[in-house]
Amino acid sequence: MQRHLLRRRALLASAGLAAAAPALAACGPDIASDEDSGGSALLKAPDRTEGEITIWDRSGDLFEVFEGVIADFNAKYPGITVNHVAVDIDAKLQNTLITGADVPDGVFLDDAKVGGFTDYLWDLSDVLAPYAADIAPQKLDVNTVAGGVYGVPFDLDPGLLFYNATALEAAGIDVEAIATYDDLLQAARDYRDAVPGSAPIHLEQSAFLGQLQLEMYASQLGTSIADADGNLRLDTPEFERILTFLDTVRQEGLGTRAEYLTPTDIAELDNGNQVFYPWAIWFSFAPQQVLTETAGDWRATQLPAWDAGGARSGAMGGSSFVLPKDGPNADLAWLFYEFLMFDEAGYTAVWGPGDVYPEGLATSIPSYTPAADPAKPLYTGITALGGQDLWTVATEAGAQIPGGTPTPAWWSGAVDYLGNDLQRMLDGDLTPQEALAQSSEDIQTNLVDRQ
Amino acid sequence: MTATTAPATRRAPRAGRGPRMRRRLAPYVFVLPFVAVFAAFSVYPLFFTARLSFTDWRGTGAATWVGWDNYAYLLTNPAFWASLGNSAVLWLLIVPVQIVLGVLVAVLLNNAKLRLRGLYRVAFIVPFVTPLVAVAQIWVVLFDQRYGAVNAFLGLFGLPDTGWLTTSTWAKPTLALLFLWKTTGFIVIILLSGLQSINASIYEAAELDGASRARQLWSITVPLLRRTIGFAVVLQTLAVFQMFAEPFVVTQGGPYNSTTTAGYHLYNHITRADLGTGAANSFLLVVLVMALSLLFVRLLRAKD
Repeated sequence: MQRHLLRRRALLASAGLAAAAPALAACGPDIASDEDSGGSALLKAPDRTEGEITIWDRSGDLFEVFEGVIADFNAKYPGITVNHVAVDIDAKLQNTLITGADVPDGVFLDDAKVGGFTDYLWDLSDVLAPYAADIAPQKLDVNTVAGGVYGVPFDLDPGLLFYNATALEAAGIDVEAIATYDDLLQAARDYRDAVPGSAPIHLEQSAFLGQLQLEMYASQLGTSIADADGNLRLDTPEFERILTFLDTVRQEGLGTRAEYLTPTDIAELDNGNQVFYPWAIWFSFAPQQVLTETAGDWRATQLPAWDAGGARSGAMGGSSFVLPKDGPNADLAWLFYEFLMFDEAGYTAVWGPGDVYPEGLATSIPSYTPAADPAKPLYTGITALGGQDLWTVATEAGAQIPGGTPTPAWWSGAVDYLGNDLQRMLDGDLTPQEALAQSSEDIQTNLVDRQ
Repeated sequence: MTATTAPATRRAPRAGRGPRMRRRLAPYVFVLPFVAVFAAFSVYPLFFTARLSFTDWRGTGAATWVGWDNYAYLLTNPAFWASLGNSAVLWLLIVPVQIVLGVLVAVLLNNAKLRLRGLYRVAFIVPFVTPLVAVAQIWVVLFDQRYGAVNAFLGLFGLPDTGWLTTSTWAKPTLALLFLWKTTGFIVIILLSGLQSINASIYEAAELDGASRARQLWSITVPLLRRTIGFAVVLQTLAVFQMFAEPFVVTQGGPYNSTTTAGYHLYNHITRADLGTGAANSFLLVVLVMALSLLFVRLLRAKD
């Protein structure tokens, strides 16, 4: 009898909860409304200079760099208080924007992710207009979606050819003679002949970073995985040419398969087996912080060109600053970023020598071309690169990066297909043509068609 | 007389109804805080997710009702099935080994004659409380193909270098080993609590009857631990099918998605703002894990 009563009560309670739940569910973010929550909204420059702004940055070295610039900003705008917060942006931004609770005024974001949040962000076309002509075209491309610009471009990450000058010199290889990727292949063959057992060129083993590096090579050729309308352009002669080069490195045993700066990678760099590293400028971190045996032996030069006279660099990675529409003082956050990126006092404080990087922020260059002037270095000799003037190399390379290379919102999802198929090719399981055909089909089905 | 007694008789039922009502309401008042929290953080998200799973919402703009499309997409998507397959293989590599190992270690630690028993117990639980990110870094270094300690040791016996984390053949066993090392201590603690509830007189009687240690283990310990073992199996089944952090920090789901578990696959949908498909994926996962748990519970009841 009592059990019956209990069962009836449990049934009633469950029914009550079930009845209440749909009502509760309806209280959540409006996901079924026909009304577009987004839509383009142009941010206007503020006519006030007082208030408090909340700025989200990733924790780490860059957070410390930006933290150090706040005092310079306040010297110009004493009425604006900066609440600078270190946040796991990848984990928190999406939920914060969806719920609209405690939305920051400005956020540091990977370029590849800007496209996914545009409905929640201010279109910065209007405020950026005075500077747009002087911003690296590639950075404007990655922040442009359907005609709107949704990020304040931060850094430009030109691809460079890092090389172990001491080891190559000992083997009699002249790096100055490497002008094309064919020259690079020949130099690698010569080095392997001089140092038996070596595998001179880095072949990335991480699916994500491998795809990022592939985009660097493609950027040199003025193309990318998708065009400005989001249409896939992977199965093309340009990508086939790049994959064929990588496959040649593999087939001839000229490459070291390793994930970026994992123990194998570091050891092979330090023991002189791996002497060519075509990578973004941020590889300069390795000789400065990681390579113990060969720090000081490394140098950087422009990437080889695909054809003689072609572009000697491509973009690899990069970040920007976005301003959420729900941020209460996003207009004041614009003043913060305007100071950081376009004011000489600001960009000098960011890239110049400081507490965090005593020799300057040598892992990137500004995307604002007046700040990236080869004649006005923000940092110069890098001790770990034998005192090389990395600024001049990087800014001259950065100036050659072609535009017309937008990043689709589904870029990171493509790693499951393109990134993995690239690795399969490097393992000898797929030909370049098969990798491109298979990736194209999978990306079209699972990412493009489902947008 | 009447004037004094009449009000008293009228008041008496009112006074009696109050406490009775309070007594009836009291349990509901006591459970109300839990129900409120449960409704807000469990029931509401459940129904919201259910609603989401029938839309194409990407976290922005208006959502379109797509009916069963997300479910149909997942059920015909090889990557979804591959993630379930990866989790199933990991389950096979982890749970049976962990239960056998857990029972044996728990029996050893339950032996009152064992010296330094407290030290061993601490040693077994330390991996469980060590931060996963730190352990993952050690794992990456230990199992590095060319310079890892594991291959260096195996090289002493003339064995070739193995890509423990870089080949689809070995990545799952290496990840399973990490999971085993990290969580077996927790299972040992659960099994120890079960062991300690077994009446010592049963073992004394068995000894008098001449039963060997092995016989006692098989005929007394294991049968009487069945419910605790079942609990551990259900717990680890949930953990393996929801496993996310281990592949995320050690292999990033690679190589070739061979360590993309069911939980990781779900995470990929969410982080790529494919929230409708992610919601459908989580429901399919709930159904699967529930079915597996019920199956284990049924099997145990049948044995009882």
